[in-house]
Parts: sequence; C-alpha cells; structure tokens
Amino acid sequence: MKYFIVIVFLFILYSMGSALFYLSRDKGQSSNTVRFLTVRVVLSVVLFMFIILAMKMGWIVPHGLQVVATG
Amino acid sequence: MTEMSEKQYYVPHTAKWPIVACLGLFITVIGASLKFNSLDLEPTTPWVMYLGFAILIVMFFGWFGEVIKESEDNLYNKQVDGSFRAGMIWFIFSEVMFFASFFGALFYARTFAVPWLGGEGTNLATNVQLWPGYEAVWPTNGPADVNGRFETISAFSLPLVNTLLLLTSSITITIAHHALRANDRKKTIIWMIATVLLGATFLFYQVEEYIEAYQHLNLTLKSGIYGSTFFMLTGFHGLHVTLGTIMLIVITVRLMKGHFKAHDHFGFEAVAWYWHFVDVVWLGLFIFVYVL
Repeated sequence: MKYFIVIVFLFILYSMGSALFYLSRDKGQSSNTVRFLTVRVVLSVVLFMFIILAMKMGWIVPHGLQVVATG
Repeated sequence: MTEMSEKQYYVPHTAKWPIVACLGLFITVIGASLKFNSLDLEPTTPWVMYLGFAILIVMFFGWFGEVIKESEDNLYNKQVDGSFRAGMIWFIFSEVMFFASFFGALFYARTFAVPWLGGEGTNLATNVQLWPGYEAVWPTNGPADVNGRFETISAFSLPLVNTLLLLTSSITITIAHHALRANDRKKTIIWMIATVLLGATFLFYQVEEYIEAYQHLNLTLKSGIYGSTFFMLTGFHGLHVTLGTIMLIVITVRLMKGHFKAHDHFGFEAVAWYWHFVDVVWLGLFIFVYVL
C-alpha cells in the first residue's frame, strides 16, 4: 500500500514538472500547462481519497495513532 | 530575427530596489543571528530582525509594483517574457532543493540514523555502548529523550481538514485558470477569491495545530529529531502558504484592475503553478510526516 501511495505521488510530481516545462516553453500560447495542472489536481484528489479509504480499512496505520515517545 | 528586434530589451536605468533588497537582507540576517545566538543585547535584538523584514516587505511591494507597471505599459517584449519564465524555473529549482533538504533530513533520520542508534545492522555495539535499552521506533525524540515525553498530532484530526482545504483550493484555482483562458474574467475573480479564503482558513487551522502541539502535547521545536523535522517542514510550508496567499491576493486585485489576457498572463500562471506546488508539498507532508 505504501508503494502504491508513493508511485501515485511520483506521478503527481511528474505532472507538476510537465506543467512547469510547458509554462516555460509554450509561453502561454497553449493550454498544456493548465491541462497538466488539472491532471495533477485529479490525481491528488484520487490519492487523498485512497489514503482515507486505506486508513479506514486498516491497510495503513498512521503512526500518529500509536502515540509513542521513547526515552 | 524579427522577434529579436521587436523592441529593445527593457532595462530600467534608475533601479533603486536591488540595493534596498541587499540592505534588507543584510539587516535581517544580522538581526536573526543576534537573536538566535541569544546575545544579550535586549531590547534591540528582535527589533533589528523586524526592521530587516520591514525593509524587505517595502522592497517587495515597491519592486513588484514597478514591474507590474512596466508590464502594463508594454515595456516588455518577448525576450523579457522569456527571462521571467527562466527566472521562474530557477526559483522553483531552489524551492525544490529547499524542501528536498528537509524531507531528506526526515528520511535520513527515520531510515538510517534512528535505527542505527537502536542497534540495527552492524551497529549493535553503538546501541549497547551508547544507548543501552533504546528501541528505535518512530516518532522519537531520540535516545536522550530530549524535552521529555510528547504526543504527535493525529493524521485524522486537523491535518486531514487542512489537506481537504488545500486540495479544494487547488480545485478552485484550476477552475479560475480555465476561466481566464476562456476569457471569463468575472468567473476567474470569483474562484480566485474562493482560493484566497481557503488558503487563509488553512493558515488559521495551522496556527490552531501549533497551539495544540505546544500547549497540550508537549510537541515543540525542541522535541528532538521528531520535533525539529516536524516544525521545520510544516513551519516552512506554512510560510510558503502565507506568501502564496499574498501572491494570490495581488493577482486577484490585478484581475479586478483588468490586467492579464487569455493568452498573456504569465504572472497569473506562475502564481497558480506555485500554489499547486505548495499544495503538493503539503500532500507530501501529509503522507510522510503525518500518515506513513
């Protein structure tokens, strides 16, 4: 599950990078930047919903819930 | 060659802002080093830093105000536009490196340093000799139990709300972006205002979270490696959201004044990209700091 989350996150970084690339290259003359930014928003929403589902289903346990401080 | 000789590359000859920026940075750094090294120069110490910040703020408004005016006066040709875009790339490169260093510190501590202290791999002697009985778990303030017991913020509480707020703000700014490209100014402004409000609400809850951490959980900047990485990452992210919100407000006011066109809106697009970047950093924080 952890790997799935990381892979989707990498795809988000990739679409951000592409948006930045087209921001620089197309100089506002194409819709590539806004298109890649839209892709990244959709991916982020999907990832967020997946994380909520995974926590609810117990596939991943947030470390905050373990509440440990060691000494 | 027509593009190159479209007009001359605009160079302002009486630019006073670079020297003001140098002065502001110099005073800020001097003030900060006086303050953080706890030199006993009260009550001057914090005020030197604040004076530096004040100069920087005046510089930003003055300099960017001039740039906006020059842009609206059509003094910039395509070459200048290219320079701005190249500048954006370098700026983002520095931002990525900045956050990579703090995320890197977090990963290094969690994956290597803490397990080594717990005796992982060939480091059994380290554990036995230096920190006998220390068990490597995360979160930890380290084997010396720096600053005492603490609790962490649950991912299910405020961080979840904040993730939802920032994600929603990314959706609203994307709607505004599409609207601007479709030349629908009114729709763009409405969705930009929504984005600003969501960003401000995020900041409000972030302050609430810090108050909770400091007053009830004993989680502070001094709570060992967890406290340091937690507050450095979320704190600098919060600073970026603050700056991003100010940038969004400026862009919204410019839209109201009639700036930007459907195919000529670098200022808008750069700020929109920056806002997406800030949201992605938060998503990374939510995943790696709060959840995993």
